[in-house]
Amino acid sequence: MPGRTFSRRAVLASGTSAAMAVATPIISPAFGQTKALTAADVLARMRVNIGTEWREGGVDRFIAGSADMPVRGIATTMMATFDALKAAAAQNLNLVITHEPTYWSHQDRLDQLQDDPLYKKKLAFIQAHGLIVYHFHDHWHAKRPVDGINDGMARKMGWTGYRDTTNGRQYNLPATTLAGLMRSFQSRLKDRTLRAVGDPALAVRKVVTSWGFSSNFPGITFLKGDADVLVVGEAQDWDLVAYAQDLAGAGRKKGLVLLGHVLSEQWGMDACADWLAQLVKEVPVRFLPLIEPYWNPSRPVFEINTRI
Amino acid sequence: MAERTGPITALQLIARILEKSGAPNRSQTIDHVSAGDPTTPITGIATMAIASLECLKRAAAGGRNLILAYDPAFWSGNDSFDHLEGDSLFLEKRDFIRAHNLVCFNWHDHWRDRVPDGMATGMAAALGWASYQVAGNASLFRLPQTTLLDLARDLQTRLNDPTIRVVGDPKLAVRNVAALWGTAAQMPAIQLLNTPIDVLVTGYAREWEAVEYAQDMIAAGEKKGLILLGEAASVDLGMKYCAEWIATFVDEVPVEFVPSRPVYWGIG
Repeated sequence: MPGRTFSRRAVLASGTSAAMAVATPIISPAFGQTKALTAADVLARMRVNIGTEWREGGVDRFIAGSADMPVRGIATTMMATFDALKAAAAQNLNLVITHEPTYWSHQDRLDQLQDDPLYKKKLAFIQAHGLIVYHFHDHWHAKRPVDGINDGMARKMGWTGYRDTTNGRQYNLPATTLAGLMRSFQSRLKDRTLRAVGDPALAVRKVVTSWGFSSNFPGITFLKGDADVLVVGEAQDWDLVAYAQDLAGAGRKKGLVLLGHVLSEQWGMDACADWLAQLVKEVPVRFLPLIEPYWNPSRPVFEINTRI
Repeated sequence: MAERTGPITALQLIARILEKSGAPNRSQTIDHVSAGDPTTPITGIATMAIASLECLKRAAAGGRNLILAYDPAFWSGNDSFDHLEGDSLFLEKRDFIRAHNLVCFNWHDHWRDRVPDGMATGMAAALGWASYQVAGNASLFRLPQTTLLDLARDLQTRLNDPTIRVVGDPKLAVRNVAALWGTAAQMPAIQLLNTPIDVLVTGYAREWEAVEYAQDMIAAGEKKGLILLGEAASVDLGMKYCAEWIATFVDEVPVEFVPSRPVYWGIG
């Protein structure tokens, strides 16, 4: 959509000096030299185009590297795993935009990791390859008009035409069953270890989604609504899952699907790469898909790259 | 005045179980009577992984009305009733508990504080791992040589766990295994993975914490594996042992373990 891109640039041009770099990309007329694109430039364009107020206080921030570092290429990924960082470095994409943490906690807390050997290795790899890692969780969910993760997952599932007009989380699908829904997730998302609670023969039309982790609230509220099935990435067995189990035990016609956290959200970061590619023309932008973390004994596989 | 004898109450039994555990009273704990009247006369005790409606129904059908469950009845870690006012499933479960004179006791923290850890003891016994236990640590085992895949298959069979999930190389050579029955918090999971163990076995770990850490260790060249059993599968047989243990000091009423059925189903 060139028109939208142009209007975005017009908005950006009225903003900061970083935004001026968009309006006049790469060449600095005063000196006739190239001005390197920095991570700060990219972030400034993201802030202006997110469609909502940019809020401080969440988890979104630079986890490694710094805003003033030059960007040679951008990788989006679901989680900045060691393998994702290796792939980014191998493709010379040194700005890694990750939805989930780098250092194994939502807040990327380091207080207990200072002597952790894996932390030291991961940090050394990041530094050796000049990587910048930006945690982009809260604002990508806050993206308007549609949560960026929800948007990308709907696209991957082929569900964009089924989105409910009043509840953007809900999809009104052609009639299927819980087992049929599971099979469509398995084939579209390449999900070996998805799990369900409820009757496989359950008639399904309305599906409400809470991609990623769902706590007991609002998860229970979603299960009590109109939908036949709640789809999440991950939930705790003793709260939301237990509620779904009791619904089934009470004979209620409801189901719960757990896709796994990464597989339930990662195509939202594919959508993020598409969005960034509209904002950043100077360098390549690519989505780095992750492997499914798990296997089941019926289908053992080993996909983790053990070479640094 | 002669001592009055009468039917034993939930409170009397709970006090005895706590005393026999030898676990010091915690000031902060989720172990409490979450439903029912503690003065209710008890006709039988049922132990279970989680006080699900289905397990409560089986317990009531067998005439057991004191429920000892590792995970709680009302769908939150601390059995909070917040947001549940008017919830039809809450009302149905509450009414079932009332109609069958059930008393639900969360039996979580003090079961783990028991020396040795009741859950760890029970799980090791159920898996036939008791003789492989590393001295002084109820959750560390030196198994006969196996592989990650064979260990996972064995656990799947013994624990009736169709949706077991595994991280790592199926061919990984395995001898040293650490277990965190129930849930693995980020710490100590990360610390344990950094000890000379081959595999960490747990019920549940967050995908953005210990799961990512295990993947990263493997990606950095370490030979490690992680097995996620699911919470109920990882504690169920520990609650079977709990019933056996209680029966050694309660003879007034029968004590029965109510096994969980697999929580999830998957597709091959």
